[in-house]
Amino acid sequence: MERKSTLGPHDDPREILGVATSATDEEIRAAYLRKVKEHPPERSPAAFERIRDAYEVLRDPRRRALHLLLSADPWAPLASLLADRKPERRFVGPAPWLAVLKEK
Amino acid sequence: MSKKNKHRNHNRPWPVTPPTVSGGSAVGPGASDPNFVEVEQLLAQGNSKAAVELAKQVHKLAVTSASEALLIKAYGARIRALLKSGLSVEAKALLDLVRQRYPSAKGALAEIGVDVAARQESLDDLLRGLNDPGLAPARRLEIEATIRRQVTDPGALAQSAALPAEHPLRVGAARLEKAWEAVTTGPVNDDALALPEISRRSPLAPWKMLVRAIAAFYQADDAACERWIELIDPDSAPARLAPVLRAMISCQAAPGLKPAASFLVAQVGGKLDTLRGALQSLDAAFATGKRKQIIPAIQNAIRVCREACPDLLDRLRQHIGVRAHAADISDAQVREAMGGAPRKDAYFCRLMARQAEDPRSMACLPACTMWDEFRQHAVQEGWFRADGPEVAALYLHMADILQHMSREDLASLQQSFRNQYSRLAFQYLEHHPPSVREFASKKDEEALYLLFPERLYARACAIDPDPEVFMRWVEWARGGSGWKLEEEAAEAWKRALPKDSRPLLRLMELAEKRGALKKALGYLEQAESLAALNPEVRRGRLRLLVATAMRHVEQRKAHLADRDLEDLEALPQAREGDRPAFLEALRWTVCVLRSDPDGAARHLARATDLIGSRVAAAIVIAGIVDFCKLYDLVTDHYYERNINFEGKESLAAAVARGCALGDDLGWPLTIPSAFEKQLLDELKRAPGKMDARQLRLLAEAALRLDRRPLAFAASGAGLAKGGATEARFLLLRGRALPGYEPERRDQCYAAAAELARRQRDMGLVDEAVECRRGHFFMGTINPLAPDSASMSTDQLSKVLNRERQASEFPQFKDRKLESPFDDGPFFDDDEDDDFDDDEEFDDDLGPVTSNEFDEIMNQLDDLLGMGKRRGPRHKYRRRRRPGPPRPPGPPSPPSGPGQGSLF
Repeated sequence: MERKSTLGPHDDPREILGVATSATDEEIRAAYLRKVKEHPPERSPAAFERIRDAYEVLRDPRRRALHLLLSADPWAPLASLLADRKPERRFVGPAPWLAVLKEK
Repeated sequence: MSKKNKHRNHNRPWPVTPPTVSGGSAVGPGASDPNFVEVEQLLAQGNSKAAVELAKQVHKLAVTSASEALLIKAYGARIRALLKSGLSVEAKALLDLVRQRYPSAKGALAEIGVDVAARQESLDDLLRGLNDPGLAPARRLEIEATIRRQVTDPGALAQSAALPAEHPLRVGAARLEKAWEAVTTGPVNDDALALPEISRRSPLAPWKMLVRAIAAFYQADDAACERWIELIDPDSAPARLAPVLRAMISCQAAPGLKPAASFLVAQVGGKLDTLRGALQSLDAAFATGKRKQIIPAIQNAIRVCREACPDLLDRLRQHIGVRAHAADISDAQVREAMGGAPRKDAYFCRLMARQAEDPRSMACLPACTMWDEFRQHAVQEGWFRADGPEVAALYLHMADILQHMSREDLASLQQSFRNQYSRLAFQYLEHHPPSVREFASKKDEEALYLLFPERLYARACAIDPDPEVFMRWVEWARGGSGWKLEEEAAEAWKRALPKDSRPLLRLMELAEKRGALKKALGYLEQAESLAALNPEVRRGRLRLLVATAMRHVEQRKAHLADRDLEDLEALPQAREGDRPAFLEALRWTVCVLRSDPDGAARHLARATDLIGSRVAAAIVIAGIVDFCKLYDLVTDHYYERNINFEGKESLAAAVARGCALGDDLGWPLTIPSAFEKQLLDELKRAPGKMDARQLRLLAEAALRLDRRPLAFAASGAGLAKGGATEARFLLLRGRALPGYEPERRDQCYAAAAELARRQRDMGLVDEAVECRRGHFFMGTINPLAPDSASMSTDQLSKVLNRERQASEFPQFKDRKLESPFDDGPFFDDDEDDDFDDDEEFDDDLGPVTSNEFDEIMNQLDDLLGMGKRRGPRHKYRRRRRPGPPRPPGPPSPPSGPGQGSLF
């Protein structure tokens, strides 16, 4: 049975592999190998799956092209625009933290 | 009871039972005293206020040490309740009052005093006890537990004058204060988190864990953060931050967060959550479709986005713009609500195109237009090269979109755009020189490329000359009415990939189909030079030589046909299977042309020997006669005189074998109408005699010739055999059913698809689905509905049983056709005249024959626009047999000059 891709509609395979739009096939492959070294399957299987799916899309020019065309989903929930955004973790000083402890 | 009355009753003096007085001195009321019991009960119920009131009255009346102890106990409970409610000031005031009034309370309320002191953040009272060298260990533990539970600011502990500066608790608190400041203000190193001054048993140990959890949180090491949180004593003050930290890690809004906690989450996490909420509200507003809800939701989302994620604003505007466009809200309103227009770039065009090609409301022209806009923007923005594979994929995608339109609609659209362009060009260039006008005209025509699938395919193939891409072009062109488009596609393929034999074979077939045999042979020779061993090429050579021989027979050029036959006999592939029998049959026709009865008899005998059946040989000969139009030489009378139907040979098996041979050589043979009755009888009488392959061939040949009753009978015989071929025969049964049985036909298709799916025969599933798609009856059956293709086992068996048991071809007169067609114009008896070549069925069928009904269905489909099928269209019209019409009744005598008597 064909494995379901882990890439979502807003996932950019180039961003996952960290390659530029103009990257050649060799550059894409080099980036893939580098990423796999960073996230080997035995240590981070989820990250590895994403890297592999991104590479599967990028290695085949036709699939890459089709993904580029069809990856946009105008009907996706607008909140999904925030999906790739890592939540900010601002330093706010000790006071707000202490206020929580003092809160009755 | 009103609130006021309730309050009044509450303050009412408690009804106290007077205590027992004995010997002038008050005897302390014991635990058995009802008032004492009641106070205890109130305390147990947590009603400390009422308990204090009652205890006060009891003590007022009794004034004994026991009543005082009871009152102090009630006060203690009250002070704890106040502390629990966060009223620490009130708790301290009450504690001071009680201590002042009742000296005995000092000892009894000492523990509460520690808690009150801690809450007041004047830890001195609490900490002072730790200076006592003779402090009991239990008391020390109590104080430490209170510190663990109550201290909410390590700074206050570090600065407390109640302990000497070198006291380990103060030293640890001071170190902790620095670490706390550091960890909440910026990144810290591991040294800052070591805190060796605080041991595991220290009351400040939970703080140490909290500091490390916060550090891990800011380092985005969520797993470590969770580990440190788990180590925090859940009963300690720092544990209050655990749910807040977990909420921030999971980015999920934790229910029940208090204001300070929510504030912290908002401060640390920015306003991303607020924005997420605003976007969800906007989605909900779009779902309502109400402009009054959508516009304010847009305004709110944009405002929050501007504050929380200004870098996302452009992207959000683009998405909102597309969604608002789909919701039919005016651009001006949306622009105003968003405080600006969405940026028209490649991203936006792609979104618009995707929205336009939504299958629920496919708009082919806007979709293609937006994709073209996308292409231009994307190239400009450097997404891909102008001649990159992405552009080829885009052209193919656009061509796919256009296929959602019927060819007629597309042609009409192309024409109207052309007209519009030329009118505008004429007006615009009216006074320009002819050279300018010509150039502009060409440019305009080129701009319309996106309306022409063939141009899109051509562009795609020019960028990506891959056989797969050419194949798609050829497949599309094959669906057209003429052969020109397909030839253009195959020619382009040949030019781009001159070493590929496939376009040559396509060109050969096209030339062959239109009778250009010399041209076809030319292509074949080129294909042979590239791939002589290709089975398709080998079959092509055989087929073309057969076609040439048959043409020469048709042209009555016996000498040329002889030469062709010699060439044919020299081909190794002509010696395989039953093919030599076909050549003998061709020789027979040549003998007929030459009026050579002996030769004809000899070749007939050979053909019969080779194919192993006189009837099969006759079928092949009949087919050749039919194609070569030798009706003046051979008539159906021949079969009736020469074929002995009473023999042991199975007529149906022989017909199937003959048809198989015809199919093999690319010449689908006819089944002589003289055989029909006997075939039907045989199939009904002994359905199990033939094997499944023969029955399938027979049914397919009958369908090709539009002999539905025969196909019906053959499929029924196949179904009666059961086994793995049931799905195939159900599909054939569906195809054999007449147009006036739409539901039954659809059920057969659905059952065939279901059965094939269970047998994992995906090719057959595709065929059945295509048949269902082609069979779209008046909107009552929607084969594209998601669950219309699935069938339960029970439904499947019902359909199978029904079709197995049905032995008679359904008659139109037996069927009640629902209104509004009962009295429609299509049932005019005069229309029967158009079908006078179906005399065999006229006797059996009702006032409207199956052919007429099929014709009606075609007309209705066209009228109602339902004829836009993607799948193979059923040929409702019965194929007219070429040549002079055969008169009804007994076979007519041969009309040829003498030869007829021979055959």
